[in-house]
Amino acid sequence: MHARAMDDYASVIAMLNHTWFGAELSPETQERLARLGDIQDFEADEVILHEGDDAKEMGILIRGRLALRTFVPERGPVTILSVEPGDIFGWSAVLADTQAQSTVVATESSQALVIEGVKLRAALKEDHALAASLYPRVLKAVARRLRATRLQLLDLFAR
Amino acid sequence: MITSPAPSQTATATATARQWFLAREDLGALVEAIRATGRTVIGPTIREGAIVYDEIQTAADLPTGWRDVQTAGRYRLEHDNDSRVFGYAVGPTPWKRFTFPPNLTIAAAHHTSTIGFEPPVPDPPPVAFLGVRACEIAALAIQDRVFLGGQFTDEDFRARRSAAFIVAVQCTSCASTCFCTSMGTGPEVHGGYDIVLTEIDDGFVIQAGSPGGAAIVAKLPTRQPSHAEAGAAVDNVEAVRTQMGQPLPMAGIAERLKLQLDHPRWAQVADRCVECGNCTMSCPTCFCTSVVEKSGMDGRASTTERLWDSCFDVSFAKVAGGDFRARPRDRYRQWLTHKFSTWWDQFGSSGCVGCGRCITWCPVHIDVREELSAIAPPIPPVVRPVAVAPVAASPGTYSIARLASVRPETDDTTTLSLTDVDPAFLSGRPGQFVMIALPAFPAVPISISRFRANGIDLTIRAVGATSTALVNLHPGAKVGLRGPLGTFWPVEEAYGRHAVVVAGGVGLSPLHGLVDALVANHDRFESVSLFYGSRTPEDMLFRDDLAAWSAGKSIDVAITVDRAGPEWKGRVGVVTTLFDMISWDCSKVTAFVVGPERMMQASVQGLISKGVPADKICVSMERHMECGIGLCGHCQMAGRFVCKDGPVFRLDDLGDMFNREGI
Repeated sequence: MHARAMDDYASVIAMLNHTWFGAELSPETQERLARLGDIQDFEADEVILHEGDDAKEMGILIRGRLALRTFVPERGPVTILSVEPGDIFGWSAVLADTQAQSTVVATESSQALVIEGVKLRAALKEDHALAASLYPRVLKAVARRLRATRLQLLDLFAR
Repeated sequence: MITSPAPSQTATATATARQWFLAREDLGALVEAIRATGRTVIGPTIREGAIVYDEIQTAADLPTGWRDVQTAGRYRLEHDNDSRVFGYAVGPTPWKRFTFPPNLTIAAAHHTSTIGFEPPVPDPPPVAFLGVRACEIAALAIQDRVFLGGQFTDEDFRARRSAAFIVAVQCTSCASTCFCTSMGTGPEVHGGYDIVLTEIDDGFVIQAGSPGGAAIVAKLPTRQPSHAEAGAAVDNVEAVRTQMGQPLPMAGIAERLKLQLDHPRWAQVADRCVECGNCTMSCPTCFCTSVVEKSGMDGRASTTERLWDSCFDVSFAKVAGGDFRARPRDRYRQWLTHKFSTWWDQFGSSGCVGCGRCITWCPVHIDVREELSAIAPPIPPVVRPVAVAPVAASPGTYSIARLASVRPETDDTTTLSLTDVDPAFLSGRPGQFVMIALPAFPAVPISISRFRANGIDLTIRAVGATSTALVNLHPGAKVGLRGPLGTFWPVEEAYGRHAVVVAGGVGLSPLHGLVDALVANHDRFESVSLFYGSRTPEDMLFRDDLAAWSAGKSIDVAITVDRAGPEWKGRVGVVTTLFDMISWDCSKVTAFVVGPERMMQASVQGLISKGVPADKICVSMERHMECGIGLCGHCQMAGRFVCKDGPVFRLDDLGDMFNREGI
């Protein structure tokens, strides 16, 4: 993982505007997130987060692909979801004292805006406008994932 | 003062007016008779190498023996030994210069101890227009609507129009730039005249179109035309229609142009256009003007002059704060869309009569016919194919086919390639199915997954006795077929749109033939995309074809699986997550969806939420089938038989029956 200097918020905001998650946030929220986070690059097969670790960071994927994996005894790691550009990972960091739900691995060279959970939670607590803008977006991201997960659960293609 | 007859009166007069024959040498009598009524006769003359309308005194002033050669940007007159008086098309000057003068005083003002404005009282002299062609009659009618058909009228135009006696001439030749047949304005004259002439070898077949015209004709040394002469008059005009060739497809041009306001051709043609305004000046219907004041040095008296103007003028749309049409492309687009599109909204007709003047007199050879074809080509009609009649439709009768090869797709799904099939199967369409049987096994419905030159493919998942027996056959084995049966994917409805195929699991099988057809004809679609989801990477069908489609440029392929091991580097998630990739205007998407019904329902919901219209989504339904022809009753679904009313349905046809429990 390589963190870059954050001296160009405008380019970060431009990147956010190209993501599903960030495009409909208010300009003020976009700038706040740009200032709170770091642009980080990940190499292929790099493990970003381990299942069960403290959920310390939330990320918005800008480029590449991440795999969310869970370990199943006798089957090994199973990829349950891929995160595509525009989506978020590590949303649990919005809440304090939570653990990562799955292991996050970059399946190819990737780049994300990563925000420390501590900073994010402090900002949400202090800035009500940021909270009003960001919470619904996170909730929508989780709802989308829940809907998709339910369909996966139905195992519609099973014999 | 003779007024131009209203079209209805003229039509009646035309229908019942007698025809007469006027010898060539007596044409002068017509001119004299009209002049004797106190009218100035204006007709075709030659000046500076062109046919222009000007005052004539006798028939000798007419351009006898002259003909024109016109192409885009070129005009030449040639003289031959022919004695024809009207053997040419139209010249650069339209009749509008006499009904709607290029320069007209519309007010006079004085400024002494007080100020006053005096509008002139129109009092135009009586005139006769000799040699008005069908397209020009249509142009005069258009100008009638512009200047007299609305809330505000041009009384000077009304006076001049009323003062004009119209002697029309049927065209017996045309220029290469003429396209009146495309605009419905010629070549035959239908009404709007006082007298009409048709030139034949020895003279003219003449007909009156008004009481005033009849009075003039009555003074001429005419006789009844012979049958041959009357026939020649008709034939000469009909020959022009043939000479002009296939009319342009102008149906719907007004709407087609409105859809192309951002077409790149506007900039391309504007790069060629020198904005000289020849087209608007020579056009018989263009009516834009500007107003200038002229006064003496002391400012005590002034006149207001109305001058012809052109929307090509660089300052035409300028206001104090700027210019609404600053770019040449804006001005060219304004002219062409006004002429062929918004004129309809304003005046209830096209503004073009197909006279071709704008083509002939364009110094850079811009041809509006070419520009219209390039910018707003006609939309090809959707030709709905008719399903081929099935073979061996009745249960119990089968057509025998031979198994050519067997290809496992996954651990439980196999593709059988059949050959020696009845030709009817080769004429089937993607989306259709067959009933396939082996002796001692009940027939089962299987979608045709591929159409080949010499056979069909069936992709079968082994889930029951018959399907298990089928996938265990060896090449050379024989099977019984009935079909092709059912409805098929309406590919033509996706022409010009984004074609999106959404497949889940074995649902790719009935869609494979559709994808082949989309890829083969990809240039007929705005784009072609396949979104495919399967349970695991190992459960994907047609992996070689998926790779080939992904590698090609004709279709965008996005694949996802529900779950995978660490070796899978692709997407993981349900197929609806792929809809995040859609970036087009979804109102222009036509979608074809197949998979487990719950997956189809989620996909349809996802597509509709993105803006895809319900009547542009097709699904393929599956139900228990035993006969395949709607006679066993098993496959009924809310009043429809899936075997013969489907399996392909348009979503809006299904309504809320789609995915309803218990249907």
